[in-house]
Amino acid sequence: MTTYLIRRLLWLIPVILVVGAVTFILMHNTPGGPWDTDAERRQVDESTRKSLEAFYGLDKPLWRQFLAYMIGDWNNKGEFVCGLPCGNFGPSYRQRGVPVEAILFRPPEDENGNLKPWYYSRFGYSLRLGILALVIAMGVGIPIGTIAALKQNTWIDYLSLLIATAGISVPSFVIAIFLIIIFASGLQWISVIPRSWDSPSVWILPAIVLGFGTLAFTARLMRTSMLEVLRMDYVRTARAKGLAERTVVTVHMIKNALIPVITILGPSLAGLVTGSFIIETMFAFPGMGRAYVQAISQRDYSMIMGTTLIYAILVALANLSVDFIYVLVDPRIRLEE
Amino acid sequence: MRKLYIFLGLLVAASMVLSACGPAATPTPETIVQTVIVEGTPQVKIVEVTPTPAKQAKPAVLRVNVGTYPDIIDPQKSSFVIEIATLKMIYQGLTELNEKLETVPGAAESWKFNQDATQLVFTLKKDLKYSDGSLLNAKRFEFAFLRNIDPTTGGEYASITDEILNAPEWRAADPNAADYNRDEWVKKVGVKASHADGSDCTGYDDAACDTLTLTFSKPAPYFATVAGLWVGYPAKEENIAEGGELWWNSSKYQIGNGPFILKTVEPFVRQYFVPNPNFRGAGIPTYDLEYLYITDSAVAFEAYKNNELDVIASAAEDLDAINADPNLTAQHVQYAGSCTIKIQFSLQPTWNGMPNPFTDKKVREAFALAFDAEGWVKDVDGSLSLPTWTWIPPGYPGYDPESPLRFDPEAARAALAAASEPFNSAEKLNAMGLKLTFGDTPRNRQRTEWLVANYKKHLGVELILDPVDTTTYTALQKDPNTFPLLSRGGWCADYPDPQNWLSVYWRSDTTFASRPGYKNEEFDRLVNEADVTLDPAKRMELYKKAQQILLNDIPAAFGYNTLNHYLVKPWVKGYKTTPQDAVFPGDVLPWTITIDTSMIP
Repeated sequence: MTTYLIRRLLWLIPVILVVGAVTFILMHNTPGGPWDTDAERRQVDESTRKSLEAFYGLDKPLWRQFLAYMIGDWNNKGEFVCGLPCGNFGPSYRQRGVPVEAILFRPPEDENGNLKPWYYSRFGYSLRLGILALVIAMGVGIPIGTIAALKQNTWIDYLSLLIATAGISVPSFVIAIFLIIIFASGLQWISVIPRSWDSPSVWILPAIVLGFGTLAFTARLMRTSMLEVLRMDYVRTARAKGLAERTVVTVHMIKNALIPVITILGPSLAGLVTGSFIIETMFAFPGMGRAYVQAISQRDYSMIMGTTLIYAILVALANLSVDFIYVLVDPRIRLEE
Repeated sequence: MRKLYIFLGLLVAASMVLSACGPAATPTPETIVQTVIVEGTPQVKIVEVTPTPAKQAKPAVLRVNVGTYPDIIDPQKSSFVIEIATLKMIYQGLTELNEKLETVPGAAESWKFNQDATQLVFTLKKDLKYSDGSLLNAKRFEFAFLRNIDPTTGGEYASITDEILNAPEWRAADPNAADYNRDEWVKKVGVKASHADGSDCTGYDDAACDTLTLTFSKPAPYFATVAGLWVGYPAKEENIAEGGELWWNSSKYQIGNGPFILKTVEPFVRQYFVPNPNFRGAGIPTYDLEYLYITDSAVAFEAYKNNELDVIASAAEDLDAINADPNLTAQHVQYAGSCTIKIQFSLQPTWNGMPNPFTDKKVREAFALAFDAEGWVKDVDGSLSLPTWTWIPPGYPGYDPESPLRFDPEAARAALAAASEPFNSAEKLNAMGLKLTFGDTPRNRQRTEWLVANYKKHLGVELILDPVDTTTYTALQKDPNTFPLLSRGGWCADYPDPQNWLSVYWRSDTTFASRPGYKNEEFDRLVNEADVTLDPAKRMELYKKAQQILLNDIPAAFGYNTLNHYLVKPWVKGYKTTPQDAVFPGDVLPWTITIDTSMIP
């Protein structure tokens, strides 16, 4: 198990290098730069642009900029500045030198100027919302899919199909504004603008909206998987043995039907945790998604690189954790093999 | 199976704990000292009570939706309206604007130009203090201007103080060069704090240090207005040093002299301000100010209707709902804004390897006359803009409604017919495949499609839509060789002076004029003369003549002025609007605003 874990973790290095290289090439081949402002504003003059480029090392050849980011480089004072291996994701150009890791992982200060706990950072917010959304998606999606399969071609099945279709086809911003109008403007159970993210109730709507697509997909997948398992010989055998239907369903069917669902668990978790631009925009949520999208439109190169690599690492780690969950669900699977 | 249930259970528990982390909002028992009278003898005993929430009066808080969260809130590095909206609440410059956009004393009590306007001396008000009670002297303003010019700061608006002696030279210096000496540059640059008698200040604790002298490389009679801009706001040097790269995101280090104190910052969510009792402006605000950052206009509109916001910018898509509701209609405040938007023509000799039709003035005239500005305002902007045929917008010094350009389709077609070969008919232009380039957003696409239809209808010219990524669009405009043939752009005032509209934008050596290729020597001569003329009346006359030349040259179809348009709750009273307002009506003079808390439901 340990060897397997180490081997998988070592595989992260080439993955990060390839993802970093592709991102670097794409962003530097897109026209524009971090100090391009729209035409309706005073433009950054040439001498300021040159001094900014020199300060951030953007006047160096591209290959050196890439190596500086991925490994490290000597600065103007002759000191070696360690790059990604030391957790240095580079300075944000739009936020004028603020380290990307500080933007994503540093919590804000409280009224006394002290740092709040880590989970108040942008990553912390996204992580909390992502986990909550995943719990809702799995907690609702798996039972819906299971019941739909057991009650195939009944109104329950059709209702689950409706939910699944709505979840996949209706854009999240439409669901979000509908829920806001119903629960905030109409019923006034919550406020439109969350006054404080310390209150658990304000997390419910964004988590539902964020998790709705995954919920729908999970429900469909679970239903299909259950229908397949339903016709298996071992299920027939279990019933023939006289086991109670509840035992057959929970012990023999759901457990086996869950394997495809677990396969999507990793990417789903990574996708949910890394946040959503739409959800963050609609609910004024202080997560990572908005920062990522803004960085792309602003050509904030370090920020784009940093967030992309963090996403890549999260996806890789989520997939790795899924491999371990397989072992929990299916004793036939051995990681060493 | 049991393992799986345990795993799922742990996941649920973890998510609930993680999402609910944070202080509880329920009342907690507290220990109080209570005096009890027992048979005439006072006895003190300690009791534990749980306070019951009493119905309290609504606090006076102005809750404003700003929209996008600022990238940086640093006086010498910021450049966006939303960034300056925060800065101008925390800081006060040497001068400020009044309701009529006249330059009036801010932190400076008075100022005086020398004979030829190459030197400007500010005298600070007596006993100026920061919000934390510490002394604010001229040395602080000296630091602000020096920091703005210093090449290591790299502020996007650093060039706005280039009139200061040796400022452009210092900005262009290489701080990594072996012979670079910052102290030498500080001595050479035309910024100096002193005592009233001209003697040197000793430091930030020198109470007699009340004079700031700015020396210019050429006469700059408009510079008292520039000196009041955010680049001259006196952020504390020691706070910037101590706070590091993130100093600006902390209420601990953002100590200013403005109308408000930044009390809390919740990045991307809110900023909360309280009145600054040490503010030395025309009045101290009587309310707290909360900036919220809701980027989705539909959500902001719902929050406004739900009384969770007091001021939002009204959006075009909400106009039907606003007009259908008499209450919302009454709360809809609209007044002239600070921008002029135009359809810019490339005046470069060639386009796409062909002769550029817009080098022919008659073609430009045809396109300017065929632009239905009123139709644009009605159809595209939902009446949230004002049609214009001139450059400087209403409300600003130098506004001149006289213009040779008006919407006139017949005259437009006649002008096109009078153009030189081979540009003198719509068919010939259509054969060239003229492109209208735009940054591809849904809103811009709608705008550009309207423009294409407009020119097809009134001129018979079929323009080709040329969508590009928004940053690519900006990049194309930075190079004269790639400057789009036709594009939508404009200018918003940095400060209310014709110099900012004419010299900064259209003089042939500026990037704005040189990239599309506009050059008129007489225009340049007039604005150069106006820029150094001390007599205000003569100066305005020169700018007026320059603007007439600009309008006659038709480098662009001047289309419309922006409107400031807000929904404002009826309990927000006393605001005095100016075109320079950025995020809420009256934000140039926020101390005039009052909140009638008795009206809040």
